[in-house]
Order: sequence, then C-alpha cells, then structure tokens
Amino acid sequence: MGLAQNVIFGLVTGSYIAIAAIGFTLIYGIVNMINFAYGEYLTMGAFIGILTVGVLPLPLPLAAVVAMVGGGLISLLLARLFFTPINQTGPVPMLLTSIGLGLVLRNGIRLTAGQSARYFDTEAITFRFDGLPPLSVGSVDLLGGFFVTSEQLIVMGCAVGVFLLVHTLLTRTDVGIAMRAMGDNENLARVRGIDTQRIRDSVWVLAGVLAALAGVLLGIQTNVSAGTGFSQILQILSAAILGGAGSPYGAIAGSYVIGLVLALSTAFLPAGMTGISSAIAFLILIGVLLVKPSGLAGQEVREA
Amino acid sequence: MAFDNTGRNTRRNFLKAVGAGGVAATAGCLSFGDSGGGSGTITLGQPAAQTGDWDFLQPGVSQATDVAVQQINDAGGPLDREIEVQRRDTAVNPQEARSVVTQLVENDDALALMGLFSSEINPLFDFLQEQQTPVVTPWPGSGYLDTRGGDMGTPDNIDDDQWVWRTVIGDTVHTAGGARRALDEGNDTLGVINGNSEGARSWADGFVAAYEEGGGTVAQRVEVSLGQSSYQSALDRLFGSEFSAFAVSIPLEDATTLLSDWSDGGYGRQPILSDPLAQNDLASQVGGDLDGAWAASPGQAGPSFDSFVETYEQGGDAELNGWTPPAWDAMHVTALAIERAGEATPEAIQQNLGPVSRDGGTEVTTFAEGKEALANGEEISYQGAATPTNFTNFGNVFGPVAINVAGGGEFSQEEVIPAEDIRGLVPEDEY
Repeated sequence: MGLAQNVIFGLVTGSYIAIAAIGFTLIYGIVNMINFAYGEYLTMGAFIGILTVGVLPLPLPLAAVVAMVGGGLISLLLARLFFTPINQTGPVPMLLTSIGLGLVLRNGIRLTAGQSARYFDTEAITFRFDGLPPLSVGSVDLLGGFFVTSEQLIVMGCAVGVFLLVHTLLTRTDVGIAMRAMGDNENLARVRGIDTQRIRDSVWVLAGVLAALAGVLLGIQTNVSAGTGFSQILQILSAAILGGAGSPYGAIAGSYVIGLVLALSTAFLPAGMTGISSAIAFLILIGVLLVKPSGLAGQEVREA
Repeated sequence: MAFDNTGRNTRRNFLKAVGAGGVAATAGCLSFGDSGGGSGTITLGQPAAQTGDWDFLQPGVSQATDVAVQQINDAGGPLDREIEVQRRDTAVNPQEARSVVTQLVENDDALALMGLFSSEINPLFDFLQEQQTPVVTPWPGSGYLDTRGGDMGTPDNIDDDQWVWRTVIGDTVHTAGGARRALDEGNDTLGVINGNSEGARSWADGFVAAYEEGGGTVAQRVEVSLGQSSYQSALDRLFGSEFSAFAVSIPLEDATTLLSDWSDGGYGRQPILSDPLAQNDLASQVGGDLDGAWAASPGQAGPSFDSFVETYEQGGDAELNGWTPPAWDAMHVTALAIERAGEATPEAIQQNLGPVSRDGGTEVTTFAEGKEALANGEEISYQGAATPTNFTNFGNVFGPVAINVAGGGEFSQEEVIPAEDIRGLVPEDEY
C-alpha cells in the first residue's frame, strides 16, 4: 500500500469538507451560531445542480454556477425567515432552531424529491503514475505508483480556487474586512459604522454558495439524495472546531487533517478496525482539543 | 330559585347525557378497535422501508402485499372477514422500528407483523418476543435468525415459540449458493469488502463461512463505514492483496459510489455482489466495467411463481425484486393460518403458521384453494411463489438460488441452483 496514493485520497476528501466548512465556520464566527441545518444547504445545492443539468439542460459547469447562485439565495431567504428574527436571542435558541429547520428541510426534500438517488452523468479520466521507484519504510511504500482521476483533480482545483477567492475577499474587499471586524467585535464594528445586518446577509449568501458548490461536487462523486449533505455534517462540524471555530483558515486546516486521518486510518489500521476510521478522526479531534482547546488556528471556541 | 332548579335540572341532565354518551363511546371504541375475535376487518401491520437505505426495495414488496390482500379478500377473506394492512415507515432504523411495532400492536390492533429487516429484528429480538405477536417477514437474511424463531416444531405448545418467521431464504442458504459458484469458477482466494451495518456484515459473514467451509481462502477483508464520499482508501487496501475475485456487501447507494471508485481506479478482478445489489441502476451507473459481476439471490421460482407474477403485474409497475414473492407468501400463509385457526388472534396465527405450510396436507397455491380445502376438513400445505414455504422448526424456508449476472447495464438471470443442491450444505438442526 502506497502512502502517496492515500495522501491523494485524503486530500480529495479534505477538499470536499473544506469548501463546506469555510461557510459553516464563517456563520459561526460572524452570526455566532452553529448551523446544524447546513448539511441540507449542501443537499439543496446538489438538487439545484442536478435539476439544472436535467431540465434546462445546461452543461455541468454552468449547472454548478446556477446551483451556487440558487444556494446563496436560498441561504439568505432561510436566514431572513428563521434566523434574523431571533438574532438577539443568543446562540442556543438559534442552534435549536437550526436543528429543527434541518429536520424540516431534510424531510421536505425527501417528500418532494422522492426516495431514489439521482446521479450526474459524468465520465472520469484516470491518470496513472506507475513507473515511480519504491521508497519503502517497513511495510509502507512512501511513494509507490498512484493514480488520480479527473474528478478528483476538479475537486481539489475547486477547493484551491475557493481558498484563494475567500482569502482575497477577506483581505482585499471592504465586505471581507467588515466580516473580520464583526468576527472580532460586533459592537465595535457597529460603532465604526459597519452595517452589521448587511454583513450578516453577505455571510449567509457566501455560506450558501460554498455549500451548494460542495453539494454539487459530492453529488458528482456519489449521488444526490435527501441525505447527501446530512451525511457530511459531522465531518464539517468537526473540521470547523478542529481548526478553531470561526476561523476560515483553521477550517481548511482542520478539513485536511480529518480527510487525511480518514484515508490513512482506513489504509493502515488493523484489518478488523477499518470500519471505525470515522471514529479515529473524531478521536484526533478530541485529542487536539484537549491539548489546544482553541483549535489549530488558535481562535477561542465560544459558548454555544 | 327557578333559576337554581333549572340549573340543577340542566346539570343533572347534562351529566346523564355525558354519562350515557361516555358508555356508548366506550362501547363503540371497544367495538371499533376489535380486529381480533369479532366480525370486523382483520388488521395486519407492515413495518416498511419507505425511506432509508433500503427504500428502493419497498415498492415491489408493497405492491405484492397489496395484490395479495386484494386476492385474499376477493376469495372471501379468512373467516369471511376482510383483511387490511396498516403500513408504517421504519426507515430500517431499530429505534423507529420499535416505535412502529408498538404503534401497530397497541394502537392499530395488528394481529401479525408482515415486515422487519435483520437490522431491526436482531437488536429488537427480545422486545419482539414480549409483544407475543407473530412477525411473518419477507426481509431478513441474517444468520442470527437461523436458529431463532418459529415454533420449534411444536405448534400446539406456544411456550417454546419465538414469534419470528421469514418467508425469504436466509443468507446462509444463498451465500452457500454464491460460495459454491465462486469456488466452481476457480476462485480459490477472495477479497471481501463490506459495510458496517448489520445486514451487510451478516451477508459477508455467511458468505465467508460457506466459502471457507468449501476450501476457499479469504486473503483480505475490509469493513467500511457507510455514507462516505469516497471508498478509494478501502479499495486501495483491499487490492493490496492477491486474489482473483472480491465480494461486495454494502447498501446500494454506497455500492454505487464504491464500485464507481473501483472502476475509476482500474483495480479489475471479478466482483461478486450481495443479493440486494442485483439492481439495474447499479449496472447502468457503474457501466461496462461491471459486466460479468454476479449476485446469488433468493430464487423467484416457487411452485406458484407464475400465477403470482400474473396477479402482481395487474397491481402496478413496481420492479420485481428478490423480496417481492416472499411478501406475497407472507400474506398468504398468514391468512391461511387465521382460516385454519377459526379465530383471529396473534396466538392462533402463531400456532397455525407451521401446520398450514409444512409437508403433509393438500397442496394449495392460493388462499381460495386453501379456504376450500380447510372447509372440507383437510390439512393443507401452502406452496409459495418464492419457495415451497415449508417452514423449518426455526421458522425458516429453503429454496433455489438464482445467479444474476450484470451485462449491458442490467442484470439478467443466468442460472438457478436448485434447493436440493444447497440443502446439503446447511445442517438441518442449524437452520
């Protein structure tokens, strides 16, 4: 078994999680709530994508853009309907509201879209690198042959693109700088003349856009069903907390740690334990938080 | 004063009316709620997989159940009463299944339960015994039930009964058929990859046991958690070992992801699929790389299969699957048990499921034939659509095993291994 191959698998898994986790952690940092309905945002994005491909029909890249626009608008609409009115009640009522909203959305999607999984019609091209010399340490070949598919490259490419755009947004635009200011101290930001409601709305839109993109990418790799996003929410939440809740850069780091741990534990755990690779990822999370409660990026986890 | 008298009279009259109404309502409730020994409709419950990992199999089972009920009612119904089925979704979740069973037994007065999967029965087995309501189910393949369930061959003695009957052949039987074919094809060494759910693990356990019993060797077994976005790491680990074929046991949606990953990774070798995976959706999604993959499924060739199909197709367009004929059999054998008992109670059904199914009586293939034979004082032996439905002492059935092979984006039946060929592989006192 080659380490390089499993690192690639881990990076791909981490990329899915990272795209979604950035949106999740921005909501946490700026709106000050843990949004448990966020998995359903991924699901809705995936459904918009597959409907766009099937009904309009548009090519997949355009469908992904439509899904991102739709995801952003739906996220804003849901926030205006359910979260903005209770902004002042604190994180716990908002957390409970998001759990309820998630249940309603998930079952609503199931009732509306039916039971069957849907699939994007894609063809993957596989690129192989088999001629590499072995670099063995014990039973582990550090290099070995490996392959990467076009779908995996697209996922990792999208993730890198998202990281660059988010970094640019947060450091080079007024909206992004205002988001960071709000994340640090909302009252001070308001005193300095920042329209905090507009910034909250921007965060909701951005989170919806990222969730929709992650949903479409997940749908391409797996399928689109009512449980598409829900099955990922624990990993997204863990990545955000591991990285330091509220920090987009920490969420990216946390996502790749979880992706790599998932892949490497499946590859190297004793044969009877491979089914608990997800649990290993959460053990790492607990371990990191015990040593560094503020997470990898060093931002204090707030009460929620 | 007049006002007071009027008030007292009014209050007295009101209390009388309420009291009389209450008595009438209570009597009415008792009457309406009686699906047992009276003369009303007989209610049977059906815990169903309307959502969840296995929901793609439910439409066929629901349609088979509904057309069976229609045919039974058209023939006069057991004890000249109509049967109705109360269907409730469990999502194949043990917690939900527990609630649904309670609802069906306590609120709906269901006299028997016509569903429940292995993943639900195994953790709830003791709870189901406490309900004292027969579970006659087309779903579970688990080896856990090989020696649990049925009437122990003593129908009159209910004390040793275990209240679970399955009309589908157990994993032990068709995995034995699959293992035999794998060995016959010259696959001396296999890899195995399975999900960590009860059903997926049970199939893999049964297959590996039968395969190793036949002299095969499992080079590598990898268990994966469900719902992952990629199974490449698990595949990479599995294919690090040398073997000629690999067995896959995991729910359909995960299997589609896993086998698409397998196709993308170009791992090659012969896939052997668990029986729920013989679905055209899987073959069309994975594409040509899956051609030649096969699954050993419960055969659909009981004595009354042809007449079942004819009736089934008039009931809708749900796809027929390996659990569809057993659902038809479950309904028929339960209705015949009520007819033979002469009363509609859970205990009566439990005591008569064995006698109406086992060898020795007049062979009947429909409820109408059975009702007539019983009216003539004859014993009967129901001959089912999936299998002959001769319940063993543990409430299990034997039947043929069908080999379905993928090709051109769909599965087609290539071979049927007769029940007699497989029966020798399964000891009588262990099934």
